[in-house]
Amino acid sequence: MPGFRAALPAALLLLLLSSFPPAAAEQPPWPWTPGAMHALNPSDRHASRAAWTALHYSNYHEASPSTLRALRQVLKATVKIIPGLGVKYYLQFTTEGYINGENAGSCLATVLYLKKSPPEVYIKCAHTQDKKQIQEEDNKFYHYLHHQTKPIIANNIPDSHGNIDRAHLPLWGLAIAGSSYIMLEKSTENLGYFMAQVKAVKQRIRKDSAVEFEFIVLLHETPTQKIELCHMHLIWTLSPPLRVKYICTSDNHWLEDGSGQDYGSAAGLFHEKEGNF
Amino acid sequence: MCHYSSPIIVSNCFLYLPLLPPLRILIHDVQELVDQSAPKDTSSRNQIPENYNYTQYHPMEEIYTWMAQIQKSNSELVTQHYLGETVENRTIYYLQISQPSDRTKKIIWMDCGIHAREWISPAFCQWFVKEILQNYESDPKIRKFLQNLDLYILPVLNIDGYIYSWETARLWRKNRSPHLNGTCYGTDLNRNFNSSWGTLGVSYNCSSEIFCGTGPESEPETRAVVQLIERKKSDILCYLTIHSYGQYILTPYGSTTEPPSNNEELMHVAQTAAAALREKYGTSYEVGSTSLILYSNSGSSRDWAHMIGIPFSYTFELRDKGTYGFILPADQIQPTCEETMLAVTTIIEYVDQKYFPGGAMMLTSANLGLSLSSLL
Repeated sequence: MPGFRAALPAALLLLLLSSFPPAAAEQPPWPWTPGAMHALNPSDRHASRAAWTALHYSNYHEASPSTLRALRQVLKATVKIIPGLGVKYYLQFTTEGYINGENAGSCLATVLYLKKSPPEVYIKCAHTQDKKQIQEEDNKFYHYLHHQTKPIIANNIPDSHGNIDRAHLPLWGLAIAGSSYIMLEKSTENLGYFMAQVKAVKQRIRKDSAVEFEFIVLLHETPTQKIELCHMHLIWTLSPPLRVKYICTSDNHWLEDGSGQDYGSAAGLFHEKEGNF
Repeated sequence: MCHYSSPIIVSNCFLYLPLLPPLRILIHDVQELVDQSAPKDTSSRNQIPENYNYTQYHPMEEIYTWMAQIQKSNSELVTQHYLGETVENRTIYYLQISQPSDRTKKIIWMDCGIHAREWISPAFCQWFVKEILQNYESDPKIRKFLQNLDLYILPVLNIDGYIYSWETARLWRKNRSPHLNGTCYGTDLNRNFNSSWGTLGVSYNCSSEIFCGTGPESEPETRAVVQLIERKKSDILCYLTIHSYGQYILTPYGSTTEPPSNNEELMHVAQTAAAALREKYGTSYEVGSTSLILYSNSGSSRDWAHMIGIPFSYTFELRDKGTYGFILPADQIQPTCEETMLAVTTIIEYVDQKYFPGGAMMLTSANLGLSLSSLL
């Protein structure tokens, strides 16, 4: 499955998949046998942090600004410590459209926080939106961005007062989708993220069918309250995968390269996703 | 002020006589009688500066002007008071809303803007003041609790930080105290209070957003609040501090999972408040102790207020849940403030009911004269 940084042993993968009931309808209580499983209060911060980790995974992998989801409420959460591996959360939660705030159905997810790699996520969400409508909206976004003759350049999305120009909504959506990859990689059991603002965005006009952007995004990290600044390079071809390269101020590489501002010289230091392009 | 010797009915003037046996009210609403008989004199009515837009975010200069205007046009109810000064020597003011009376009232304290980037917070304090003043005449619930309670509202505590977030860095959080020879700025004021200071959920490093300062109450803004609240603590029943974001009503403590002595009651009132809030637009707030539902942190103002004996201490984290976060669109100011108003007034009304049960008798001096004579 795309997105998994560490290869899963086949047995563990089978266990994961076989434990999940068919995704079609809303699901009844989890079929796990109790043991090292711990029920969590749904308002526990670890539960909502894990739910958001799962959503970052989904928001990145869908590569669809129209399908971006935000957490509404955690309904059920359990956690298990897997000795030698990490901590695994099992979640059921409701979601809403990130941009329109409308009910976007519920999801089941597992989030495995590992010691030295980014979390491993499995997520399945009920579809409440019309697939055709989603496709149409994404197409609209895509064509708007693809048909620019002059590269789009913008700052502060949203602005200080929370306003977003209609013309910038697709940029904001793409930034969230791309940032979700960064946030997924950085998320741990104890550190959560939200995208606070797009500080700057610059388009690179391409001759082929892809749209390409450089972003500077600000991520809000909790509970440290830190604002993380990340340089993100993104390529979207309408269908997944969304290709993301990034480097953030807190990353060691940033300090090694004196001119973090200079995109060209920093290119080799970016975290890459999906190889060369 | 009330002039008891005058036989003329003075509007908005009430007497509360706790030692008398219950008196029978002969005329339930003398004010209404007065209104009906006398021509309306709009110049004495509570006035809000007509052109102030409460559905927009305002820079500090405008908030200073607003405070002065509010006091000027509502002088019988509102007084502006000096609290202290910020690191950069700016004056911190709070507004006192107090119904004229001989009695010492108990106090409800609410502060906004401890964290610079949480702009919806000062917006709410301004909205709250406006609503109280605008509806004072028409809303009996407001008049009722103002008989016994004074409201102390601090619209912006971290003034330097707020200005910095307008002029330089929208996402600034802390105050602007210089450290390390001016190479690093800012203490997190909500880690700077003397409530298990410096123990959990803080950093000792100035470059951190949760730097707790060089010692408890090291910051002038913290000391300004502490001095006033310490002085008046025996009269303060409720401490509210407004933040964003996350949609929570948080109870003590952040520095320990040990529940406060009145935890059940605190939770019950907060849940009632959250339910009232949800009625308006369906916005759901979670209720619970900071250490359980958010994260551990020491040195918060809310913990400190409860530890020195203020029974009802809450932190509000207003809209939203992360979509816009700190940069909440201005078009959400109104709905956020409207729903939050319901939660806050629920808490105030509960406190009023608890400490002043049975409802105060609303008497005017003339009314009292009438009913007393009937007893003799």
